[in-house]
Amino acid sequence: MSTPEEAEQQAARDAERRRSAGGYGGVGRSGKLDESIVHGAPSRELLAEWAVIEIDRDEVIYSTRRGGAPITFFKRLLARLLRQYFIELEARQTRFNIAVLERLEQVEQQAAHGAGGAQPDGGRQAPHRESP
Amino acid sequence: MTTVHQVLSSAGPYDAVSVQARLWRQLLTAQGHGGADYAASVDPRARGDFQPLQRLPAEGADLLIIRYSAHSAALMRVLERPEPKLVVYHNVTPPGYFWNHHVGVALACAVGRAQLPRFARAATVAAGDSEFNAAELRAAGAADARVLPILFDPQRLEPRGTPPAGEGPMVLVVSRLAPNKRHDLAIAAFAAWRAEHGVDARLVCVGEPVSPSYGELIAGLAASVDGGAVTLAGGVDQPDLNAAYAAADVVFSMSEHEGFSVPLLEAFHFGVPVVARPAGAMPEVGGDAVLWDRADDLAVTAELLQRAVCDPQLRQSLAERGRARLAEYEHARTAERIAGAVEDALSQGASSRLGRVRSEDLR
Repeated sequence: MSTPEEAEQQAARDAERRRSAGGYGGVGRSGKLDESIVHGAPSRELLAEWAVIEIDRDEVIYSTRRGGAPITFFKRLLARLLRQYFIELEARQTRFNIAVLERLEQVEQQAAHGAGGAQPDGGRQAPHRESP
Repeated sequence: MTTVHQVLSSAGPYDAVSVQARLWRQLLTAQGHGGADYAASVDPRARGDFQPLQRLPAEGADLLIIRYSAHSAALMRVLERPEPKLVVYHNVTPPGYFWNHHVGVALACAVGRAQLPRFARAATVAAGDSEFNAAELRAAGAADARVLPILFDPQRLEPRGTPPAGEGPMVLVVSRLAPNKRHDLAIAAFAAWRAEHGVDARLVCVGEPVSPSYGELIAGLAASVDGGAVTLAGGVDQPDLNAAYAAADVVFSMSEHEGFSVPLLEAFHFGVPVVARPAGAMPEVGGDAVLWDRADDLAVTAELLQRAVCDPQLRQSLAERGRARLAEYEHARTAERIAGAVEDALSQGASSRLGRVRSEDLR
């Protein structure tokens, strides 16, 4: 009789045997979602992607009610009517996000090169580099 | 009669936290407590059981049971109230899973995890529904957080609706379509098993998507499997879910993060074998009654599905172990622990009220 523990081991052996015989072509690892997204800080590339606010309203405006189609239609119509306002809101938020990201990059560069302390020009000057 | 209110961040028709609130209400009523259930956000389909949190009476409660699973500003205000509080922590999913798919949910999770210490400090009695969750509460500052397991009610699993249509072995995944549940991997492993073993099997995924766009993403993956073998059934009523369990050959999970995983117990109830990754609280709940996928290799996952479906002796062994695990979650036993926690919170609340009154008298 095969116990669950034996079955787990046997499954690993069977997978290996089938792979050796040319099976499971293209079948890869399961793995976990990127740890940097799930448990740590998002990468700089991802932050840059998130900084630009661009919302697909059809994607985020909907109703979960039974027979909610007319409500969804009305909500989307309302968003369309307010489009001018939302675009300005998104643009201003994006302007702020990008400015913060640029400033963050300057601070990181200063920290990486041991500059320490704030620079008189607010960090706009090129970071000091020591000659090798 | 004592008045015991329950408050939630959000209430819906199918989610585990709302289901627990409903079962606890039945238990509280049977134990002679009054009160009602409130949520900061109530899905229109759950309005029969939950009221908006704004309607929570300003005073007169003997105990507030706070079910914590996501941030809500309205829930934070409940912490400032003077009544004793039993905080039940159901886990807040790490926000990283959601940033790319639903920013609102990600924010609720990020702030929710950051605010956990405030809930831990405000609790008269603190509890997690698993040791995994209780440990997070302790780390957040609730030194004596206890475990109050999910109240498992087998009667809910009795009514039978319509099983999913189709022929052939049926693999069942029961969970919200969300990034941490990894339906992408479940579909990939299922497709690999089907192709390698030539099995005319079908995969049925029960659960609502976290957002329409994420639902479309998973629907695209499902459509890539030949022969329409993957069905995304959406949210289904309990009788139809029961029928799906009864018709399933294996219950399957590739989830990466679980605070408890009620479908494990439901699968045990129906005697259906389970193949799952040992994520979060799942090993604690499933114990030795699950075929654990520890290999990080979808080919091994496919082989586990093959064994779970085609090895009758293994199926019998898993069913027996599942029944033994289920005994640990027997309704009367859990109900007794819940009653104990409610009584402790009520009596500690009464003592601290008495203390306040005496100190005011002495002034």
